[in-house]
Amino acid sequence: MEPPVSPSPSHFVRIEGLKKRFGDFVALNGVSFDVDDGSTLALLGPSGCGKTTMLRCIAGLETAEEGYIEIGGKVVFDSSSRVNLMPEQRELGIVFQSYAVWPHMTVAENVGFPLKVRRTPKAEIRERVTRILKLVGLGDWYDRPATQLSGGQQQRVALARALVHEPRLVLFDEALSNLDAQLREQMRMELKILQDRLNFTAIYVTHDQAEAFALAEHVVVMNRGHIETVGLPRDVFHRPQTPFVARFLGLNVHSGTVLSVGRVPDVANHEPLDADDVYAQVRLPDGETLWGRIGQDSPPRPGDDVLVCLRREHLGLSAPSVSGGIATQALAGRNGFIGTIRASSFLGLTEEYVIDVSGGELRAIQPVSGLDAGDPVAVTVRPCDCIILSEHRTLKATQRADLKKAG
Amino acid sequence: MATDAMAHSDPSGRTARRSRFWRPQVIVPLVGVVIGILLIIGPFLATLIRSVLVWGEEGAAVSAANFTSLLSDPHFYQAIGNTLICSTGAMVLSCLLGFSLAWVVSRTDMPGRGWFEIANLIPFFLSPYVGAIAWTYLCAPNSGLIQNFFSDTFGISLAFLDIYSLGGAIWVLTLFYTPYVYLFVIAPLRRMDAALEDAARVHGASFGYTMRHIVIPLVMPAILSGALIVFVTSAGLFDIPLALLSPRGIRTMPTEIYSAVQYPADFGRAAAFGVLAMIVTVIFTLMQRRYLGRRNYDIVSGKGYRPRVIQLRPAGRVAALTLEIVYIGSGVVLPIIALLMVSFSSIWTGRFNSNFLTMENYNYVLFGYDLTQRAIVNSIQLALVGATVGVVLAVLQGYFLNRGPARWRAWIDAALSLPLGIPGIILGLGFLILAIRTPLYSTLAIVLIAYVARFFPFATRTVSSMFLAINPELEQSARSSGASWGQTMRLVLLPLLKPSLVAAWLMLFVIFIRELGATILLYAQGTETISVALVLLSERSFGYVAALAVIQLCLLLGAFVVFRLSRASLAQS
Repeated sequence: MEPPVSPSPSHFVRIEGLKKRFGDFVALNGVSFDVDDGSTLALLGPSGCGKTTMLRCIAGLETAEEGYIEIGGKVVFDSSSRVNLMPEQRELGIVFQSYAVWPHMTVAENVGFPLKVRRTPKAEIRERVTRILKLVGLGDWYDRPATQLSGGQQQRVALARALVHEPRLVLFDEALSNLDAQLREQMRMELKILQDRLNFTAIYVTHDQAEAFALAEHVVVMNRGHIETVGLPRDVFHRPQTPFVARFLGLNVHSGTVLSVGRVPDVANHEPLDADDVYAQVRLPDGETLWGRIGQDSPPRPGDDVLVCLRREHLGLSAPSVSGGIATQALAGRNGFIGTIRASSFLGLTEEYVIDVSGGELRAIQPVSGLDAGDPVAVTVRPCDCIILSEHRTLKATQRADLKKAG
Repeated sequence: MATDAMAHSDPSGRTARRSRFWRPQVIVPLVGVVIGILLIIGPFLATLIRSVLVWGEEGAAVSAANFTSLLSDPHFYQAIGNTLICSTGAMVLSCLLGFSLAWVVSRTDMPGRGWFEIANLIPFFLSPYVGAIAWTYLCAPNSGLIQNFFSDTFGISLAFLDIYSLGGAIWVLTLFYTPYVYLFVIAPLRRMDAALEDAARVHGASFGYTMRHIVIPLVMPAILSGALIVFVTSAGLFDIPLALLSPRGIRTMPTEIYSAVQYPADFGRAAAFGVLAMIVTVIFTLMQRRYLGRRNYDIVSGKGYRPRVIQLRPAGRVAALTLEIVYIGSGVVLPIIALLMVSFSSIWTGRFNSNFLTMENYNYVLFGYDLTQRAIVNSIQLALVGATVGVVLAVLQGYFLNRGPARWRAWIDAALSLPLGIPGIILGLGFLILAIRTPLYSTLAIVLIAYVARFFPFATRTVSSMFLAINPELEQSARSSGASWGQTMRLVLLPLLKPSLVAAWLMLFVIFIRELGATILLYAQGTETISVALVLLSERSFGYVAALAVIQLCLLLGAFVVFRLSRASLAQS
């Protein structure tokens, strides 16, 4: 599945060492990555992480202090040789969160704008606008004023406008965030189909992980102006590499201390995933112990402080038999610990629980199980689903390869 | 059961329900609306009726004679033509200048833009009559400070510059009305979603193309609103034609109305003139309402964004700075310097000469002359009382227009904003006709009534726009918590409205301190105002006029400073 790991010439966008600050705020702190020709890259991160600034620098709407940007073999920005092309010279398409559909123009005038400024003959503009409007499902809206459109339709107009002049790179700035959930999913699908058909390269900025994973071949997670992790959506999701990514993806993150490191955890619910995996036994603040898979390259040593990351959906909850008085028996040798249900909320097929464990709280999502607030509960987790990370960032070898490949 | 018991034990609850109309929240605001409508209809009807009356030997008769004689008078067409030239010129120049200044201040990194942003509004607070007088000191043919400065320093003759001309009037009108366009345009420019511009740039449009095809069309409704106000207001403004055109006998609409009621007075002619002007103004105002109703772009996105500031290149910086310096120089700094020079000189020759330095002008105006002393007291009294009455009316009308019965709102709103465009001199004429045979005639009260009638819509606009920003649920929760309507007003609504009340009060204060058009027709011995005294003094001495003008200027600038300070402190709290 993975493309060959080599400095392939198919990089369509190359970004190197981009730095940008606003006053004292460092928006980009030396960011580098590449985007393959015809692929989609998602820039994912919380607000203020620099992802939008990154996109605006690529578009030429913001000028970085330092760095190098190349699009389709053309240098559009290079601080060392003082190259800085104006936005209109970069031959791009862009879709904004706010749609930015011009309210004083009709649908056709909006969509035809990139062709009009390129002095395309009127007949050709008409033909190409008609074609692209059909493609985005707005064939009947040609002469309507843009203000009469609904949000989803405006988003399609913005999309058609960004594609009509057939740019080879299209930028999306939180492009689907303003749409309601159902429409958003539909647009995601349509976007993929359009990309297959028109074969453009896309950079997609979003704070929504589901969107990034659904749309992109590669995901770059950003945090405070630097790249936190780069990888395939599956890897970023299943094997978060840094505590920041784990927290951003919504995992429970707790601190602990390493007791021992080993290949095979000594628990009943161990299911090996990958022969290379290394496991560690960690003591939680209240004294309970837990086995987990080490998520980074250099394994921690006994005595090191680490973070234990647990995905809500990976936790198993069961009522311990309290008759014996010793609740730990309920674990029956499985990897886990005992807590108390504090609250639960019904989500439909599942139920989300907030669980008090000594030293913190934990969230777990389960099929509806009839546990009530105040009940003691046994929380179990497979060692491979319990990810152990150190605060200092050390990337795994596979990750480094990804980084090298992507930028 | 509990509700039953309560309903029975409180019979007044049922009567209240039966007569919903007589509740304070309906009646009290309605009083404000009714007063406003009477203030508009009174002078309008008086002018209309007077315009069709002709006094013959056997008393008054209805006749179109006033109109036919006016329409067959070549002077009428001269006046209309000159007024159109002035107001069209002022409108075009104000739009160019107002848009440029607003854009430079709101969208570029011009040095000192925070300071200029405020300075651009100062001419808004100054008196056009005093400004025109100051410009006669600056630019009178052969004796103006500017001409003398250029011939003394560079040996360049600027003899062709003559402020007593249509061009001069257009120039001074432009200086004073540019802030109107500026204020209208700067708000949408500042709120405009930068993505609208960014999208154009990324999709291939140059800076200039984006400006012409995206930015200007998007703020066009604001530019046109400003343009219309400048056109209508400068057509009706009496001050500048009086100072700059009357000395040369150049006729304009407002000065013709003024001379029609001077001895030997022809009220019929003045009223006919007034009716025609009112009809044109009303048509313009309604056209604007319709146009804006159709084209109100929502150019603000929901997303919080940083408005993009354009980094000017050195040439652009110089150009932007020059524009600002020319505007603030011509509109504020030079006129004030000229006034100060003249006011401290015993003899004025068009050059400042320290040998003629004197305090005598101020001494005379402040302590030696009963007319000017009276005028200062009258002006301050009128401004204090008038602004307060105006704001009270504005709150009541604002409540009615935003919280009252929805059915009549649009009509009442349209009716209450009619005086916005009606020239002061025409409203003054209406009240003159109304009051001339009543005890009100030649009192300060009639001047006060005319002031309020002409200018309350400004306050209503300000307060009403604040109402829009206040969620009615804030009041509803006060009522649900047990507060009466009066308590809700006092404890919730008025404190929330406070910034707009302060702004509206200061605006009316400033307008009343400098008002001339209506006052010039309504004043009598004993009810002169500062502006009237300036006109009366202008036949006697430059020095006295300049000294009194500086005193008026201090009052106006004082109001401006209070305005800025109150905004700063309200913004903090």
